[in-house]
Amino acid sequence: MNEPAKTWSVPDSLIGKRIPKMDAPDKASGRTRYIQDLEIPGALHGKILRSTRVHARILSIDTSAAKALAGVHAVITAADVPWQRPIGVGRDHLPLKADRVLSLRDEIAAVAADSEAIAEAALKLIRVVYEPLPVLATTIAASAPGAPRLHPDRPDNVAMTFDYAQGDLAQGEAESDVVVEDVFRLHYVTHCCMGVSGVIAEFDPSGNLLLYSNTQVPFLHKREFAELLGIDPGRIRIIQPPIGGGFGSKLDIYPFEPIAIFLAGITKRPVKLVFTREEEFIASPTRQPVLLKLRSGCRKDGTLTFRDVETVHDNGAYTSWGATTPFVMMQTISSLYRVPHCKYRTVAVYTNNPYAGSFRGYGNLQATFAVEAHMDKLAEAVGMDGLAFRLKNAQHPGEVTPQGMHFKSCGLKECLTTAAQRSDFLRKQAENRSRWNDPDPVKRGIGMASMLHVGGGAKIYPSDGCGTILKIDDFAHVTLITGASEIGQGSETVLAQLVCEELGLPMTAVTVVNNDTDITPWDVGVHASRTTFIAGNSAIGAARKAKRKILEAAAAKTGNRIDELGLAGGFITASSGEKLFELAKFLRSLHFSDKADLVMTSFYYEPPSRHQDKQFKGDVSAAYAWATQVCEIELDTETGIVRLLKVTGAHDVGRVLNRLGIEGQIEGGIVMGQGYALTEDLRVEAGVIRNPNFRDYKLVTAPEIPEMDISFIETMDGEGPQGAKGVGEAPAICIAAAVANAIHNATGTRITALPFAPENVYRALHGASEPPVWNAA
Amino acid sequence: MSANCDIAFTLNGVKRELSVPAGMSALAMLRERLGLTGTKYGCGEGECGACTILVDGMSVNSCLLFAADCDGRDVVTIEGVVQSEAGERLRSAFVASGAVQCGFCTPGLMVQASHLIEQHPGADEAAIRRGIEGNLCRCTGYRKIVDAIASAAKPDPGQTPFSEGQP
Amino acid sequence: MLRAGDVTVLAGGTDLMPQTQAGRLRFRPVLMNVRRVPELKGIAEDNGVVRIGALVTITELLDSALVRERLNLLWQACDHFASDQIRNAATIGGNLCNASPAGDTLVPLLALEARVVLAAKPNGTLQIRRVPLAQFLLGPGRSCRGLTELLAAVEVPLPGAGFVGEFYKHGTRPGLDISTISIAAGARRDGAVLRDVRIAFGAVAPTVIRAPRAEAALEGHRADAATLEAAVQAALAEIHPISDVRASDWYRRELIHNMLKRVLTHVCKL
Repeated sequence: MNEPAKTWSVPDSLIGKRIPKMDAPDKASGRTRYIQDLEIPGALHGKILRSTRVHARILSIDTSAAKALAGVHAVITAADVPWQRPIGVGRDHLPLKADRVLSLRDEIAAVAADSEAIAEAALKLIRVVYEPLPVLATTIAASAPGAPRLHPDRPDNVAMTFDYAQGDLAQGEAESDVVVEDVFRLHYVTHCCMGVSGVIAEFDPSGNLLLYSNTQVPFLHKREFAELLGIDPGRIRIIQPPIGGGFGSKLDIYPFEPIAIFLAGITKRPVKLVFTREEEFIASPTRQPVLLKLRSGCRKDGTLTFRDVETVHDNGAYTSWGATTPFVMMQTISSLYRVPHCKYRTVAVYTNNPYAGSFRGYGNLQATFAVEAHMDKLAEAVGMDGLAFRLKNAQHPGEVTPQGMHFKSCGLKECLTTAAQRSDFLRKQAENRSRWNDPDPVKRGIGMASMLHVGGGAKIYPSDGCGTILKIDDFAHVTLITGASEIGQGSETVLAQLVCEELGLPMTAVTVVNNDTDITPWDVGVHASRTTFIAGNSAIGAARKAKRKILEAAAAKTGNRIDELGLAGGFITASSGEKLFELAKFLRSLHFSDKADLVMTSFYYEPPSRHQDKQFKGDVSAAYAWATQVCEIELDTETGIVRLLKVTGAHDVGRVLNRLGIEGQIEGGIVMGQGYALTEDLRVEAGVIRNPNFRDYKLVTAPEIPEMDISFIETMDGEGPQGAKGVGEAPAICIAAAVANAIHNATGTRITALPFAPENVYRALHGASEPPVWNAA
Repeated sequence: MSANCDIAFTLNGVKRELSVPAGMSALAMLRERLGLTGTKYGCGEGECGACTILVDGMSVNSCLLFAADCDGRDVVTIEGVVQSEAGERLRSAFVASGAVQCGFCTPGLMVQASHLIEQHPGADEAAIRRGIEGNLCRCTGYRKIVDAIASAAKPDPGQTPFSEGQP
Repeated sequence: MLRAGDVTVLAGGTDLMPQTQAGRLRFRPVLMNVRRVPELKGIAEDNGVVRIGALVTITELLDSALVRERLNLLWQACDHFASDQIRNAATIGGNLCNASPAGDTLVPLLALEARVVLAAKPNGTLQIRRVPLAQFLLGPGRSCRGLTELLAAVEVPLPGAGFVGEFYKHGTRPGLDISTISIAAGARRDGAVLRDVRIAFGAVAPTVIRAPRAEAALEGHRADAATLEAAVQAALAEIHPISDVRASDWYRRELIHNMLKRVLTHVCKL
């Protein structure tokens, strides 16, 4: 256990301050070199030929004309790498497809050439002959008897199933005074990282691989690449240049990375492969689309009784992390509010559509959308207001849920009341309702939703650890070497801040090294809102070791006890505050004696708890984050346009470490949630993406953002670094759900399909839409 | 269309002469021929603003500008913007306000913001938001970018509140 | 200069560049950069007609007091045009020659009865012809500009005193958006009666279109709810929207119905 209490009241503490991001000056000057900006001398440019068919047999590939083009060094197909192995979460697809394509993104051939232009010209010279196969564009088609098998070992095209149950559903239903049921449809969206995907691969003469990669999980990928190449993982080094956005998109291996490696191996030259924006839209993962049927009940007094959930996930052609989002969805279903009886089933079905990866929130946006709609619906049915109904069923600290999650700290009730008070929720809700029949076509609405997400790491892998190496030089400059990757979220700054807090040093006294697997200690990777929590605890551990060592040496000189000494403002201080030694000077004397040894190592693993078992029961995180968001909208009933005017959010973040950083995470997450709710819609029709560009895939722009009022609920988590919990994903999760409730508040119409794009909303309001129907297929 | 054009122009205050393919974009010229990688490729069709540069004092998407069309003109990129006092002020504001996360959109926003402040000194919140509508950012939610531009656009350049929080 | 014939004309490049890079368009043998031709620049009024040089950028239109005060309908459309970066580069001539059915400036120009000035120099002597915009636009991306012709300017007759116009572009964003539909409507109040009624639409037909029957339903009539409804019904018979990735034809019709009524209500100050 950490002991944050001691430092909480120190006046010159860095905790809770607005600390600018350490890499911001370079980034704002255009000096930062992203993977797209790296030029390796002698590098060739790689390009990939993708399928033009959604589902087809490859009859022949003729690469002779491409090979003959001047400046082309290699043209490869599956035939050139017969040893390639299946990749990805499901290990169900080859980097280069051999005899069949299952989706429009499928990689058929690749070129390495002197320039990108030559590589593109060579692609156009490759002739592929296809034999069309029936397209399985929906899960229904893919589940139909006699549907073609997309993967030989999956006779029914089922990629994955999840089954979870707690309590006794029949009993829950029997105890219910009110039961509601709806079908929800959640659409395709994609990450749209501003920096397109890219990789640079290079072998040395001994066959060691150097990979410049934007992966969020460098150590896990080392192992996967080693398996793919059949070499010792120790011979792979991954360097992560600064990344132009992650959001979960870089958690899996995608074919372009092995393909660049193949090209580098065959040409014995470095190969750089960077996507176009269109390619980024077509060949990147999406958020998991979901069809969800929810049946919920409660008693007359508002006590929840049961939830019964069935979902069908369009798995796409291959299996990536999207298929596993039920892990998170079922947590929200079972444990966001107290509900004794619960059943949850998911089937993920292979189709010829794009496949889904992990994306900030990881299934939770989808589950919360359904659960929070029913919270409003049930409340209304028993004549309670939405706030009182949620408070009645809210979790509280100490609760161990039937699924096994242990909420050691839980600020949900404070989140609910704070967000409701600050937004004047109940008054506005009543007022908006009273205006349903006003002649004004422009209506106002207010809606509320809450969320639960892991905030203390996630035990998806057998362990959830992160290592730190910390060294202090003879000028008291600290180098913090951490396994945790920076993906723009500000982890390097918060880790440096935690170290400075321990050592009483200014931020300028720390350099963070975090992007080279040959140097950095092991880490699971950036996902599940875990970095501040896990890497933060690890960094604190190393800093405390250093502190102890320094104070021991100082105590030996002064004759004090260690606990009478401290580090502050660059000095070793007495408990009176008296400055005893200038730290840099003292460290110099240590370095020039034989006792320095100022290289610290520390590892943090999540505290022991019940790992999730085969029934999905267990405690998956060391801490859980909570939030309530209230959305206020304006809805023009004559156009269907919904404008998000204001978001009032209350977030249980454990404790605010870097106020500037956490505000940035929450504001960015809110606007990402806004895009999911209102504007973003990756249009997949018969396996084809109709809008692979920013013109028709609409990200939220600056004029559209809402006013944001954010409150932090500081529950001081006992295990968190300085009391903090993870926050990276939380802010994006509630928005769509809260907007749905706001639309109902504005119009009396409940829309259960996303997105709330103008035509969809207009159709729903005017009875011209087809609400989602359940078809378990 | 493979013919080359000889062009002469001013780049960040320095005269340059270059021979470029007729179909080449200014973005490709800057990044691939001149090594100025601060200007980013985000979409290649003028929808994201990551490649914003100044040409004769006006902000444009360099992906939509033919390199040959730079002939005789005054081109300023992010590398040039931050050399100016106004650019430095803007950069400090971006850093202090938390307007930078992954940072990929930031150079384009810096250039666009410098143009906005030059054209509309003291621009208000609404004008700033409209002024950067052509710049997409996926990380920040724009709030802190707007704050940064507003603070750099304040008429009084005497006070710099940007050291706050940086111990 | 206008003799070469097989020429791709480049001005701002904001449409040309993406078209060439996406492979939809190949340059003709000569790429002619017209940026430095002074005759193609400037905004000036002469004898009740505003001449806007083909090279005038959208930003220059927005900054022009003449346009803001006297051709406000056009000014409103410029304010909804893409982004600042595009407005700084895109020219009115390029927008016209691109002949998009959703072109933002085309809708108000059509409503304002603009004509384009086409120049050619077939045998050493400059030949100028003026073509009403409605005849200039033939279809998506197609105009009646000849291969050896250059669009030199657009001329817009000033509407009469008291003319009030409103431009509406449907979308969730103020600018950076391709129109789902757009409406330009304007009229002059002569006592209780409407005069000089102009209605034009974007993105509901192969070109931007005028709605003559809707105009006739209002012209010389009193501005009341029944008249407006008649005009809106007439307009619905004049549009031929399609379904595409941005909207269905049904929704486009609904929008024209609802928003034309709203725009006319504003114009007529009902």
